[in-house]
Amino acid sequence: MYKKFATYFCVVFLMIGCKVDPKINAPLPSNNLVEVIPQGWPQPNYTFSVNTINQDKFILGRALFYETMLSADNTISCGSCHQQVVAFAHANHAISHGINNLVGTRNAPALFNLTWQKAFMHDGGINNIEVQPLAPIQNTVEMADNINNVLAKLQASTKYKDLFNKAYGSETVDSQKMLRAMAQFMGLMYSYNSKYDLYKRGENNVQLSDAELRGYNLFIAKCNSCHTEPLFTDYVYRNNGTAINPFVNDSGRAKVTGLAQDKYKFKTPTLRNIALTKPYMHDGSLQTLNDCLNHYTNPITNTTNLDPQLLPNGILMTSNEKQDIIAFLNTLTDYKLIEDKRFADPNFK
Amino acid sequence: MKDMLKIILLSLILSFISCKKDKKTGVSEPTPSPVTYGKLNIEFENVIDTVALQFGTNYINQNADTFKVSALQYYISNIIVTNTDNTQFVEPNSYHLIDHSIPLSSVVSLVNVPLGSYKSISFVLGVDSTRNASGAQTGDLNPANGMYWPWIGYIMFKLEGTSLKVPVNNNHAFAYHIGGYSGTLKAQRSFTFNFASTTANVSTSITPEIHLQTNVLEVFKTPTIIDLGTTYDVTSVNNRSKTIADNYADMIRFKHVHNY
Repeated sequence: MYKKFATYFCVVFLMIGCKVDPKINAPLPSNNLVEVIPQGWPQPNYTFSVNTINQDKFILGRALFYETMLSADNTISCGSCHQQVVAFAHANHAISHGINNLVGTRNAPALFNLTWQKAFMHDGGINNIEVQPLAPIQNTVEMADNINNVLAKLQASTKYKDLFNKAYGSETVDSQKMLRAMAQFMGLMYSYNSKYDLYKRGENNVQLSDAELRGYNLFIAKCNSCHTEPLFTDYVYRNNGTAINPFVNDSGRAKVTGLAQDKYKFKTPTLRNIALTKPYMHDGSLQTLNDCLNHYTNPITNTTNLDPQLLPNGILMTSNEKQDIIAFLNTLTDYKLIEDKRFADPNFK
Repeated sequence: MKDMLKIILLSLILSFISCKKDKKTGVSEPTPSPVTYGKLNIEFENVIDTVALQFGTNYINQNADTFKVSALQYYISNIIVTNTDNTQFVEPNSYHLIDHSIPLSSVVSLVNVPLGSYKSISFVLGVDSTRNASGAQTGDLNPANGMYWPWIGYIMFKLEGTSLKVPVNNNHAFAYHIGGYSGTLKAQRSFTFNFASTTANVSTSITPEIHLQTNVLEVFKTPTIIDLGTTYDVTSVNNRSKTIADNYADMIRFKHVHNY
């Protein structure tokens, strides 16, 4: 008995005597939570070098993403307008409704492959995924809260004291811990397993149909200069000729830069999962993919700073070509992303 | 019982042995080196020309508009002091929020400054673009401090107050929240001051203090005279924010150095 006790004591002393490697106390990294850079893709803009990936931070980030306490009246979470079933866009909402049913001015974008984005929002006003949540939290027509109030609510919650403690070894809530956990959850939403991806990688003998292949070739010829593979966006800001709503008169990128040459320009959106994320355009003004292609073949109003690639006649496509392009766009849907249980709302088990 | 004590003793010894630092044998312990670092304080005194700024007091700007101040906050970053031998001390992680409502924030203490005589100081009013784009920060750069726009980045300089010159439909309130971290409209402004005939002498016994003054009246003049009747809401990045930033580019001045 004594010997046993003493042996324990000895071990304890040995451990105290040496500085414990902090890695020993950290939760073991889960095999299924790792940074991914698919073959042939560029290096991501955000790496997890400072925000080291671990399961408890991810779980905290997920809880926060689906947490309605992030809004002033505790009714709206990030997941309210970014729904997994539609690749984290807002199903069938041109414009989302925030607190007290107030509406914004732009379409909620889909969320995935965010670590490659150089800037966030349609106008690129947010420069880092970690600070992105501050915008909707403080927007008066979205969550309409302020970060200090949100932090106080989280700090007062037993659930979050526990989650923060597990993730960071301390119950103390602060903005950096909160935002990094959310960045971890959102940054690990990857989409690289669509039919197109499997075809490109030669996995499972996946083949594109004749129509899809024709559509792919047409896509390369007519769309890829802006919606560039493999991310299907070049992240450049452009005026694509979407009609300007006179009641909103959204100046787009110019809101960020203050430059006249950026007026009415918006970031090229990715076309991955595009079949899921209707309605389309920064203001959600187009309902179907056919509408979008028609937009580029119809006479485009030459508004200020219209992208020169759309002059003089937009993009030439026959209606058969449009059907083939849509067949190709449908191969960009990644069912693995929308069915991945790790990203599901933990409140609905 | 005796066995147990032995084991405990053994474990203690083992614990020491196991953590023995990797020392080369035969090398004698170096004599303790003399202290070579000291401290240096920088005080940012917020003033109206020469008198200390007080919230709620009426002042008159260059345009002859009477105004009161209710908030004054700004970032000081990237502080470098230059020794008379031309070596430089670059403060690491150098970001400081000066907040007039928090008197302690007006003194920035540089630590681990090599002993010696310093002849000049330089710093930036604002936060550099790198740190603006580095994600969630802590301390003075914590976005919860109210000096961060989710959309634009850090507010480099914030001045709020009231003036009867401001239209009543804006509650006579003016707000200058000046930001923008890159491009032609960026709001950071650099300052360099030579201490002329004096030096700041950092020693083991003396923490010198570099005394600077931030003159709020400069925000309203040189090069552009500001009319509070028209320029009262500058809270986004545009030519008007650049005008304010150009005005505050000469807002801070060197007063003197205390060496005691």
